[in-house]
Amino acid sequence: MSTEAVFQVSGVTFAYPGFPPCLCAVDLEVAPGERVAVLGANGSGKSTLLHLLDGLHFAQSGRVRAFGQVLEERLLETSPFGSRFRAQVGYLFQNSEAMLFCPTVAEELAFGPLQLGLPAAEVRTRIADALALLEIGHLQDRPPAALSAGEKKRVALASLLTLSPSVLLLDEPTAGLDPRSQGLLLDLLAGLHASGLTLVTATHDLDLLPELAERVVVLGEDHRVAAEGPVKDILADGPLLLRANLVRSAR
Amino acid sequence: MTALPAWLRPGTSPLAPHRPGRSHLRRGAEALAARLGALARPAPPPSGFLAALDPRAKVIGGLCLIVAATLTGQPLVLALGYTGCLLLAAWSRLPLRRFLALWLAVPLFSAVVMLPATLDVVTPGHPLLVLWHDAAWRIGAWRLPSALTVTDAGLLAAGRMVLRTALCASLAWLVAASTPPVRLFYGLRVLGVPSAFVMTLALMHRYLAVLVQAAHDLHLARLSRTVGPSPGGALAFVAAGVGSLFRRTHSLGRSVCLAMLSRGYRGEVRLLDAPRWQAQDWLASLTCCLALAAAWWWR
Amino acid sequence: MHIPDGYLSPQTCAAGYAVMAPFWAVASRRVKATLRLRQVPLLALGAAFTFVVMMFNVPIPGGTTGHAVGAVLVAILLGPWAAVIAVSSALVVQALLFGDGGITALGANCFNIAVVMPFVGWGTWRLVAGKAPAGSPRHVLGAALGGYLGLNAAALTTAVMFGLQPLIAHDAAGRPLYSPFGLKVAVTAIGLEHLLLFGFVEAAVTGLTLAWLQRADPSLLPVSSGDGAPSKSFPLWRLGGGLAGLVLLAPLGLYLPARLGAGSAWGEWSAREVARLAGFMPEGLRRLGEIWPAPLPDYASPAAGAGLPALSLWYVLSAALGCLLLVGSLWGVRRWLARPESP
Repeated sequence: MSTEAVFQVSGVTFAYPGFPPCLCAVDLEVAPGERVAVLGANGSGKSTLLHLLDGLHFAQSGRVRAFGQVLEERLLETSPFGSRFRAQVGYLFQNSEAMLFCPTVAEELAFGPLQLGLPAAEVRTRIADALALLEIGHLQDRPPAALSAGEKKRVALASLLTLSPSVLLLDEPTAGLDPRSQGLLLDLLAGLHASGLTLVTATHDLDLLPELAERVVVLGEDHRVAAEGPVKDILADGPLLLRANLVRSAR
Repeated sequence: MTALPAWLRPGTSPLAPHRPGRSHLRRGAEALAARLGALARPAPPPSGFLAALDPRAKVIGGLCLIVAATLTGQPLVLALGYTGCLLLAAWSRLPLRRFLALWLAVPLFSAVVMLPATLDVVTPGHPLLVLWHDAAWRIGAWRLPSALTVTDAGLLAAGRMVLRTALCASLAWLVAASTPPVRLFYGLRVLGVPSAFVMTLALMHRYLAVLVQAAHDLHLARLSRTVGPSPGGALAFVAAGVGSLFRRTHSLGRSVCLAMLSRGYRGEVRLLDAPRWQAQDWLASLTCCLALAAAWWWR
Repeated sequence: MHIPDGYLSPQTCAAGYAVMAPFWAVASRRVKATLRLRQVPLLALGAAFTFVVMMFNVPIPGGTTGHAVGAVLVAILLGPWAAVIAVSSALVVQALLFGDGGITALGANCFNIAVVMPFVGWGTWRLVAGKAPAGSPRHVLGAALGGYLGLNAAALTTAVMFGLQPLIAHDAAGRPLYSPFGLKVAVTAIGLEHLLLFGFVEAAVTGLTLAWLQRADPSLLPVSSGDGAPSKSFPLWRLGGGLAGLVLLAPLGLYLPARLGAGSAWGEWSAREVARLAGFMPEGLRRLGEIWPAPLPDYASPAAGAGLPALSLWYVLSAALGCLLLVGSLWGVRRWLARPESP
């Protein structure tokens, strides 16, 4: 397996047109097989950072490198690297509604592989396996509107897995889920990590942090990197968490 | 913490004037809820003759029969077809009560529209029923015709129109009620509709329920805050409602675009293969094509 | 305004589809060229938005409620070619799944509501709004006027489609096979209800929504052409060329009835023709017929004589005059609106 960094973010500043910057001079590196959490309050720029990692937006200054290549719009839209990138990096959006845009669950799972150009037989095999893995076989022909929040999340994750990614970007994966669904999801993520997937999770939930990551990058409300380090150290740094608006009082 | 202002304490709010009558907001919310119910209705049961046919066969067959109905002028043939639809609905175990509501409502509505066509001022012919004669009534400067009768040609024309409209509406309903909506859109491809447009229809249908729900919630939210006559009136609500619905549409649209891009969408659409045609699909399509040919021949 | 099946003759339905096919083709090509890849699925949501707008209840004086169509609003917010696709999609789903509008009449319905209405409304908005910045009241006024004119233009074409049926499709005895109401009845009935009522509803919804968006989220508003960049998407010369082409085709209204032996449109007889057909001239018809002496009766000068070439020339001149009057008055409105604004 290559030891080259999966993601290399250097000095990235990004702002939506007409708005103040969401990210200021952010640096980040993610090694293969790592579990990294991006920690920050609402509005600190976590989701935007994940968007940049997935090549959905492009920074005004600084660079985002993935698998050694600088991410650019033209590169992703036209080159073979772009196709491989889309397959290798899966992004679980916070809003499952936007992720489930196909008429049935089975077609949702088929969307990615079909766009890649895989043969129909292979696509059907992958669909069956993904349905079994996430225990959603009984939802195969359901329209997305008829699913509960936990089921939607599982279908969304399954639709990423059919692309057989090597990296997963997760935006607040447990937000709004009931405890059982949360547990299922966390177990699944642990299993995927054990098989070699790199995970980058954006969250502001401190309780789940130890289960989601080994290393943490904290984004302050000033949209800059406030701190970086192992989970234990960050969680013990009360004043830092208070400054970043992640706790109510420094314990 | 600072003390609460005096007007915030319980029991200090002024009484609002009484608003009699059912609010149009409530009516609007109910209409949207009804549409939501129609959209969220589960797929029709797999049993039944029509449901078992391939959607493409139904699209071809339905189109042939509707065009045939448009070409036919014989009221007897139209009436036969019309009754045939009812039998087909029953045989296919489709929800009969809903079909009957349509089966009766459409001709009734058409009959009302066509009523003036039965009169001799629109369709001249032999008088069958004389409404009045030798009258010299005036409404202001307009003098009404001295005689008004219902003519045979008028009744024929009106009856033919009513039957034809009802038959076409019934045929369309049969196809739509026996096919899950997205399968129906995919079935349109057999007519040469491009895949990109079919995908647009499918995406649209997928998010229609989301937007209808949003509009419904807008109505309810407004209703819960209505204590008296609103400044700007109902039109201001519609403008704000449509505007905020557009905002929601735009942001949802952007998110869906990003989600599709993230999963490899590059502008081309690829769909899974449709199920194969069977003997009954061939039979149904050919029969309907023959009916169309016959209607064309004898038009 | 959705025409059901059975009212339009097969020829009209086929013509509707034939006319729509190039519009759909051009619209999909324009949309792919001007919208970025990441915005194409936005069309589908725009279509869903159009569908839901048609469901909003607008209370009208009298206690009942009406509905706005919203096609002009979509044309302003997404562009006219995108509106063609979005509104067509909404109409297709309405016809297929909800029985609102006929299947054979779908091409005709799309022409009225997804082509005529958005383009007339959008064109009016562009003419009136001109180079004013996106937040100005001229945009709102242009939108409202565009909504009114767009809806009435669509109502007019719908009424014409209805009214032509007795002329186009009749049996050997001359009795109509499809919609039996002639042009006069159809245009009066449909035209009046849209001129006097629904047009204002549409104008109000379109204008007020744009005004709301100006305050609430100006980033969603279409960029005006007043920023200095040349406007690529509204070539005025194309509009003028199209209009000129239609004006030159006006004599078809003389040639076709002459060739088909149709005579005057059913119900559109002058007093003299009624006298000839019925054997007597109704007193009221004679008196009312003399109230307004038109400057160009029957679109020709009374001194023209009955020769087809001379009449054709007068037809073309009348059409050109009518267009000039309409465009001129709209342009005058725009100039008048532009007066109080300081540069």
